[in-house]
Amino acid sequence: MLSKEGADFTKVLKRYDIETQVSLTPEQMAKKLLPEDPVLRQVAEEILYMRFKTVVPVVTEALKQKDPLDVINNGLVAGMECVAKLYAEHVYFLPEIMMAAKTMEIGIAIAVKMVPGGRESKGTVVMHAAEGDPHDIGKNIAAVMVRSSGYDVIDMGRDVAITNFIAKVEEVKPLFASGTALMTTTMSAFPAEAKILMEKGIEIPLMGCGGAVNREYANSYDLGIYSEKAPQTPLIAEKIRQGYTWKQVREEWDAIVGGQ
Amino acid sequence: MAVSRYTKMAYDCADDMVFGFSKNPVSYGFGLKIGAGYVIPEINYAPRPGTEKDPERLRKEYVDYITKDILNRALTVGFPNVQLETEWVSQMNQAKLSAPVVAGQQEMCEKYHEEYGLNCGTRQTIPDQREADHGLRPGMDSAHAYPEKLFECADIACENGCNNLSIESVGGKEFADYAVTNGDIVAFLFGVGYLGSIDMTWLWEQLVDIAKKNHCVAGGDTNCSGANVSMFMAGGMMDQDVQRTFSAVTRAISAARTLCAWEAGAVGPDKDCGYEGPIVKAIAGKPTAQEGKNCQCAHCDLQGNLIAQCCDLWSNESVEYHPEFGGTSVQCWFGSIGYEASLMNTAIQLKQEKTLRDMYMYSDRYRGPEAYILAYDHAYEIGKAIAQYGDNLYLRAKAAGTKAVEILLKGYESKELGLTTKQLETLQDINKKLSALPDDEDKFVEWAAKEYKDIVPNFNMKNYGL
Repeated sequence: MLSKEGADFTKVLKRYDIETQVSLTPEQMAKKLLPEDPVLRQVAEEILYMRFKTVVPVVTEALKQKDPLDVINNGLVAGMECVAKLYAEHVYFLPEIMMAAKTMEIGIAIAVKMVPGGRESKGTVVMHAAEGDPHDIGKNIAAVMVRSSGYDVIDMGRDVAITNFIAKVEEVKPLFASGTALMTTTMSAFPAEAKILMEKGIEIPLMGCGGAVNREYANSYDLGIYSEKAPQTPLIAEKIRQGYTWKQVREEWDAIVGGQ
Repeated sequence: MAVSRYTKMAYDCADDMVFGFSKNPVSYGFGLKIGAGYVIPEINYAPRPGTEKDPERLRKEYVDYITKDILNRALTVGFPNVQLETEWVSQMNQAKLSAPVVAGQQEMCEKYHEEYGLNCGTRQTIPDQREADHGLRPGMDSAHAYPEKLFECADIACENGCNNLSIESVGGKEFADYAVTNGDIVAFLFGVGYLGSIDMTWLWEQLVDIAKKNHCVAGGDTNCSGANVSMFMAGGMMDQDVQRTFSAVTRAISAARTLCAWEAGAVGPDKDCGYEGPIVKAIAGKPTAQEGKNCQCAHCDLQGNLIAQCCDLWSNESVEYHPEFGGTSVQCWFGSIGYEASLMNTAIQLKQEKTLRDMYMYSDRYRGPEAYILAYDHAYEIGKAIAQYGDNLYLRAKAAGTKAVEILLKGYESKELGLTTKQLETLQDINKKLSALPDDEDKFVEWAAKEYKDIVPNFNMKNYGL
C-alpha cells in the first residue's frame, strides 16, 4: 500500500457531515417546542423520547385530567410535531421518526376511544406503489408521516394494478392520492391513472413520487403533483386540505415544500 | 449442483487484489475474458418510458438503437471490449417482450465481433418480482405467480442467447426495509444475513442449472434491495436519513449473503451494484463488476473512486436512453466508463496498477464509514471473518458485522476516520446489540423468529422453506 505519510487529506475532501452536525441534544432542542401545560408536556415527551413502553400509563393518567381531544392534539400530536422539527434540523433521523410515530399511534388508540364519535380525521389519502413496481420503502415512510399528521391513510401496498387503484379512489373519494415508482417503466402508471380519473370527473391531486420520478414528469400529466421527499408530503397535504387544487400546488410548490 | 461454502480466502493477502485481475477469470460471449488482466467497461441502460408497451417497439429500442449505438461508439473511440447489461423491465417477464431483445442483442454482438473483432457480449439481469406477502417460493403466490415467472425468465434469457445470467434477488427484503427504517441491525442480520442467504442459495442452485443446460455463464447477485437501500438512505453529506455507520455494517453483512450465489455454482462476474464486491472477491477470487464515479447518471455514493480498486468490470449502473449533446446517453456514459477502464488498463500495461489502485482507494478512504470498510485492506479483513465461519450462515454474517464494527471503532479511535456524534452512538449501539447475540444458530433463529413475528410486516418463515 502506498505510504500516506505527509499527505493532507483535508485538501482532498471535506467532511461536511461532521462539520455541520448539530451539537444540541434533543432535550435542549425540545425545550422551547414542548407544551407548557405539565400534563400535556409529559404526554408529548413520551412521543419525543419514543417511550412506547410507558406511553400507555402516561396517556391513561392524562385522560383522567384532560379532554381526550386535548390529549391527542396538544399532547401526542404536539410531541410528533417536535419530532418532525428535530428531524428537519438533523438532530433526529428516520429511525426516530418511525419509533415516535409508533408511540404516537399507541397513545392515540387509547385516547380516541374516549372521543365521542371518534377523532376527526384531516382527510383520507390513498397511497400505492405503481403497477409492476415491488419497491415501496419510500411509500411506507411517507405513509407514516402522513398518518402522523392526522390523516387516514389507505395503503394499497406495492405493484398495485391500475384498475384496483382507480376502484379504490372511486370508492373512498380521498383528499388526494399518491403513488411511488422506482423505475421509469413503472412510473407511466401515474399518467394512465390520471387520465382515467379525469375521464371519470374525479379531479383530485395525484402525487407522483419515487426514485424514477422527477418534478417535471409529475407535472407533465393532468392532476399530477410532486413530492421529492417523504417529509414534504404532509406540507403539501395541508395545502390540499385548505382547498388548493393540483394546479395551485404546482404553482406554489417551492414555497409549500419550503414550509411557507 | 452441490453448494460449496467458502472457508478459506482466495487471496493470500489484501495487496494481491487489484483491478483487472481475478484468481478465476471467466470467458463468454464473443471474445470476452473477465478478470484476465484488463478491465472491461459494462454499459447499462433503461428504455424510454412507453417503449415497454409494444414488443416490437421494445426490441427496436434495445437492439436497433441502444445496442447498435454502443457498439458503434466502441468502434469510434477504439475500445476493444464492451459488456452490455440489459436489466429487464418488469414487463419482460413475458417471452414475447424479452426473447426478441435477448436474441437481437446476441445477433448484433456476433456481427460486430465478426466484422470488426470487437469483443462483446451481454449480461441479462432478470427481474425478481417476488413479494414476501404473496410468497417467495413456487406455489405460494396465487396473485402473480412471480416465483415461477422468475425461473421462466431465466429460461427465456438462457435459451435466447444470454451470455451472463444475473439477478438482483429480493430474499430478506421485507426485513431489510424494516431494519433500515427502524435502525434495527439485528433484524438486518436475521433477514439479510441469514434468511436472505438461505433464499439466495436456493435460487442460485436452480439458476446455475438453467444456465449450464443452455451453455450460459451464471454471473451473480447483489444485495441491492438491502444494503444499497441502506447506503442511499444514509445518503451524501446533505441527506442522512440513516446513520452511515449503520449503512456500513449492513454492507458487511450483505457480503455474507452475496457470496451464496457463487457458493451455489455461479462463476461471476457478479453485479455492478453490489458494493460488497471487494469483500466477496477477496474470499472467492471470482471477477466482480463495480460502479462508482461514472454512474452519476443513476446515483451518487461516497466511494466513487475507491470502489474501482479491484474491479474487473466497470459500470455506469444505468442510464435512460435519450439524446445528449455528445450522442445518445448510452454513448456518452459508455465513453465515461470506457475511458476510465482505459486508464486502469494503461496502469496495468505500465505496471503501475497498484499505484493507481491505492490512489483510487485513498481518494475516498476517509470520506465515510462505508468507504472505510470497503478499502481493500479492510474488505479483506471482513472477508476473513466471513470465511472463518464460512459453513454457518448465521455466524458468518454476524462475524462480518462484528468485524466491520471493530474496524470502524479502531479507525475512529486512531483518528483516521471521523464520525459525527450520532454516527458513533449508532455504532456503539450496534456493537452492543451484536455482542449480545448468542453463538448458537438454533438459539438465534428461534429467538429472532419470535421477536420479529409481529413486528416485521409480511414475515413468513415459509418463504425460506423453514
